[in-house]
Amino acid sequence: MTEKTKQTEQNGSLSKVKKVLSAPRFLDLLPLIGLVIIVAVFAVMTDMEIVTAKSINLILSQVFVLMIASTGVFLVMTIGGLDFSQGSILGISSIVISSLSFYSIPLAMVAGILAGALIGAFNGFFHVKFKIPSFIVTICTMYLFRGLCAYMTTNAPVAAVTNITSLNLTWLKVVFTVGVLVIVYCIFTYTKLGASLKAIGAGETAARFSGVRTNLTKFLVFVAAGAITGFAAFLNVIKVGSITATAGNQLETMILIALVLGGMPISGGAKVRFSNIIIGTLVYCVLNNGLVMLGLDTAIQQLIKGTVFLFVVTLTIDKKSLHIIK
Amino acid sequence: MNEIILKAENVCKSFGITKAVCDVSMSFVKGEIHGLIGENGSGKSTFVSMLCGIHSIDSGRFVLNGEELHVRNQVQANDKGVSIIVQEMGTLSGLTVADNIFLGREDKFVRFGIKNTAAMNREAAMLLEKYGFGDINAAAMIDNYNFEDRKLIEIVKATHFGPRIVVVDETTTALSQKGREELYKHMRRIRDEGNTVIFISHNLTEIIEYTDSVSVLRDGKYIDTVKSSEVSEDELKRLMVGREIANKYYRTDYGQPVEGETVLSVRNVSVPGQITDISFELHKGEILGFGGLSECGMHEVGKAIFGASFDRAGTVALANGTKIDSIPCAIKHSIAYASKDRDNESLVLFDSIRDNIVLPSINDLAEKNILKKKKLDKFANEYAKMISVKMTGVDQFVSNLSGGNKQKVVLARWIGKNSDIIVLDSPTRGIDVKVKADIYSLMSELKEKGKSIIMISEEIQELLGMCDRIIIMKNGVISGELARDERLNEEDLIVKMV
Amino acid sequence: MNIADRINKIKNNKIFGRFYGVLLLLFIAAVVFAVFKILTPDNFGTPEKMYYYLQSSIIYSVGACGLYFIVVMGLFDFSIGANVVLSAIIAVTLSRQFGYAGLLIGALVCGTIIGFCNGFLYTKLKIPSMIVTVGLMLIFESLAYFASGGEKQSLDASLQFFGKAPGNMILAFVAFLLTFFILKYTKIGTYCYAIGSDEYVAKNMGINVTKYKIIGFVLLHFFVGIMAVLSVSFGTSVTATTGMASMSRNFTPLMGTFFGLAFKKYGTPVTAMVIGEFIISIIFNGFIALGAPTTIQNVVTGAALLIIVALTTKPAKGAVVK
Repeated sequence: MTEKTKQTEQNGSLSKVKKVLSAPRFLDLLPLIGLVIIVAVFAVMTDMEIVTAKSINLILSQVFVLMIASTGVFLVMTIGGLDFSQGSILGISSIVISSLSFYSIPLAMVAGILAGALIGAFNGFFHVKFKIPSFIVTICTMYLFRGLCAYMTTNAPVAAVTNITSLNLTWLKVVFTVGVLVIVYCIFTYTKLGASLKAIGAGETAARFSGVRTNLTKFLVFVAAGAITGFAAFLNVIKVGSITATAGNQLETMILIALVLGGMPISGGAKVRFSNIIIGTLVYCVLNNGLVMLGLDTAIQQLIKGTVFLFVVTLTIDKKSLHIIK
Repeated sequence: MNEIILKAENVCKSFGITKAVCDVSMSFVKGEIHGLIGENGSGKSTFVSMLCGIHSIDSGRFVLNGEELHVRNQVQANDKGVSIIVQEMGTLSGLTVADNIFLGREDKFVRFGIKNTAAMNREAAMLLEKYGFGDINAAAMIDNYNFEDRKLIEIVKATHFGPRIVVVDETTTALSQKGREELYKHMRRIRDEGNTVIFISHNLTEIIEYTDSVSVLRDGKYIDTVKSSEVSEDELKRLMVGREIANKYYRTDYGQPVEGETVLSVRNVSVPGQITDISFELHKGEILGFGGLSECGMHEVGKAIFGASFDRAGTVALANGTKIDSIPCAIKHSIAYASKDRDNESLVLFDSIRDNIVLPSINDLAEKNILKKKKLDKFANEYAKMISVKMTGVDQFVSNLSGGNKQKVVLARWIGKNSDIIVLDSPTRGIDVKVKADIYSLMSELKEKGKSIIMISEEIQELLGMCDRIIIMKNGVISGELARDERLNEEDLIVKMV
Repeated sequence: MNIADRINKIKNNKIFGRFYGVLLLLFIAAVVFAVFKILTPDNFGTPEKMYYYLQSSIIYSVGACGLYFIVVMGLFDFSIGANVVLSAIIAVTLSRQFGYAGLLIGALVCGTIIGFCNGFLYTKLKIPSMIVTVGLMLIFESLAYFASGGEKQSLDASLQFFGKAPGNMILAFVAFLLTFFILKYTKIGTYCYAIGSDEYVAKNMGINVTKYKIIGFVLLHFFVGIMAVLSVSFGTSVTATTGMASMSRNFTPLMGTFFGLAFKKYGTPVTAMVIGEFIISIIFNGFIALGAPTTIQNVVTGAALLIIVALTTKPAKGAVVK
């Protein structure tokens, strides 16, 4: 049988350093180290301004929606799929929430989650029933619902009830975000549903032969991702108060960047860590805000962002687990 | 024709700290079919892959026709006259048959960057005709052909340029009888033309019948070369393992036939294109064997019992009448399945040993829906140690294990689930002699405990040695049933298979 | 004979079998056309209008052809949109001094350089293509902004040969011919398919996978350069924006590529991509003719593609689809 193993070099001390650098423990910690370094770098460059309460508050205010939405996509990516429709889901759910906020705010929140779940179900259905790659399905739904969003805001932005922005309290948002993280973490780590997600990502056929209901689970994951983003939409509405056609634009790309910065393997499987979400989102927001604080031109900021992104990813990607890199 | 064509001189190769090939020196002569055998991990695959340019050599060298061999990939090896037919799929989907035959060597059809597809197709068609595969269309997409035909195309690809050395690496396990005959025919042709075939196989019967001489590797070291006509299977086994195989390889009891309660009842089961109207019963404590040629449908029977077949008609039911229609249902009702396609269906390769062992039992291990890591670790460790899986710990990824150990992990998960009915499909395929013995004794243990086993296998010896009853299949239907008997031999089974 | 048998007979017919894919596509196009023609006979479907729909679709078809090379290998590139903008800006800037030569050569050279850069970084950094091109997208958008000073760059009226017939048709046709030729008559085509099929085996066969992946990216962005010329000639100007705005330009060419992939097994990917984008254009314009707002465009594109892919995907039972 031809063996497909890789050869490692053994040349004295260089190999020892390489051994430490490629030890799984170290690789796991790398995103966290990256976060610390980025904060430190900006702290120095902005004369410590970035670690003031005001700045931290500002960073946090951007973190909430991104972190919650990333949690949903994290689940999708764990099973090896991709979801590019998140931005459109945020848009539609935000519109639903705004429209219903006049009747009752709790009702609006629930409706937003349901709207997200429905779009997620739409994604899951086409992916599972017709066996279309999730990449393609979610790009199509992104287009579809983005268009719908634009249509619904053609004449004017959809405004929510005016007192909704009074709910834009940091402590409330922290509670919501932490709540979502904790719930999803518990399900992911301590239930059989969570265990089956990793199995599906690492070997779907074998998971099926082990009794995992793969089709149902995949469908539910997309519904969950939609629902979670539907919840994130609530936090979005209480922040902005009214929804325009561009609500949630590029959210899916931001989520992808954030998760990758957090060290998440792009094909999911057994090596995903929940911390990818948290660290990744924080790194992304710190980077964003740090650059703004430095007073740089937007174009230069973006240039730096792109370069830093490539740099961080090169260091943190676990090359050994990707046998063939696509 | 006793002239030496190829010499290996002190060839060494290590992967990390594992020494795969240690200081192996051997020679091969012109005009022979030279067998190469050894347990899994003996280094034979690594040895030939170095010869063919798939792996690099750490130290030592190969000398072909007096000239040192320096090749870095298969095409370079081909240019030097060395080629290999691999065990897995060696052709690429999405390309035509002709593209595949000439892959990597298109340059003779390319002028100024332009590929003369028509000429390439013509030459491919000519070759296919010459080999006797005339009904394969050179210009068609290779995806239109099944695994076996694609293997035949691979034979053309590997031998059409008249190589001096052809390595056949465990190719026969995946072929039907007809495919194997074709392969043997071409192996003989290559030998008769004065060239050399290096034939790797775990099937000692096949080795003795088709080779002129056999070399044995053990633990990466060269042991001996013997003449095939002067050696027996037991002697070969001894050379491979290094000691007398304990007598209890297979079961040695030939007592009463198993009667007793029926645990599984299969009635009129059909899967379109695979099996038709299969009915039988499985008794408690019985080892029921299924034998036949590769395409007879017996592998599908295993899947059908486990609820894994698509479009299955008929009923599979337990003693209490519960019908088994899906995989979760089968597992819940204590049926286990070890697939022939181990790496895809029985194991999540890129996951830990623990996750693999725990997965089917996950419902039972959850207290009020909560899983605790300590409990999972304990569970996995217990069963992995019970079957002596050679590992560095339950966190180790299954992909790093040898074939025999992977199969042990598969068995560990089902023993952990404590399944009462265990379907084993080709359980010892591609596994070395020592682990085979372990698996057979495990099967006997399970039988003593009252578990019922269905063993689907293409190795007749193993069916004869282990089963209480053997059902033979042919062309998708049951063609005969034989009871365990000392006097039973291979011919009795073969006559019903063909 | 029932329908399935009839269809199979056509598929296997020696003469027509080869055209089955094309016939199917033309059939779909005809159906779509008929639907809108019936619904709004006056606003839609006059020969001039159809010609117009075709012209707007071939811009994306060219991009689809380029994208095909790498998607077939299992790779993807998010920086296409950014490249269109960047190449267009370079092209317009150079055209002020060098006329058509500047326009064409500027875009093609810029595209090729970007393609080489993408391919090189992808292979050197060993990061999945999707991720590395997201980073590159950010960088190229910024570069485009710097190159244009953030201001709208307009193409001189005298240089708009490629913005209307026959200029655009000729250029696009050349691009299609080139794609067809490369796929069918060079090693590049064979190797791209081989790498996409099983990279490990391809490597063992002595195929220099790294080299051909880089070639794939170069080809992709070369074609994107052509697309940039067509695009800026058609729209007469281009403005660089940051904030990942270029992402929206990535997906319409991708739609065409999906058509190409879906019909690959019938042996006519290039035709499939051209007709496919045309079908989408018909649908979009059909809705406009019905009085739907322009925001409907995205809905249409998304839904149309989803339906077509759903109808044409037929994976084996039990196959794993991510």
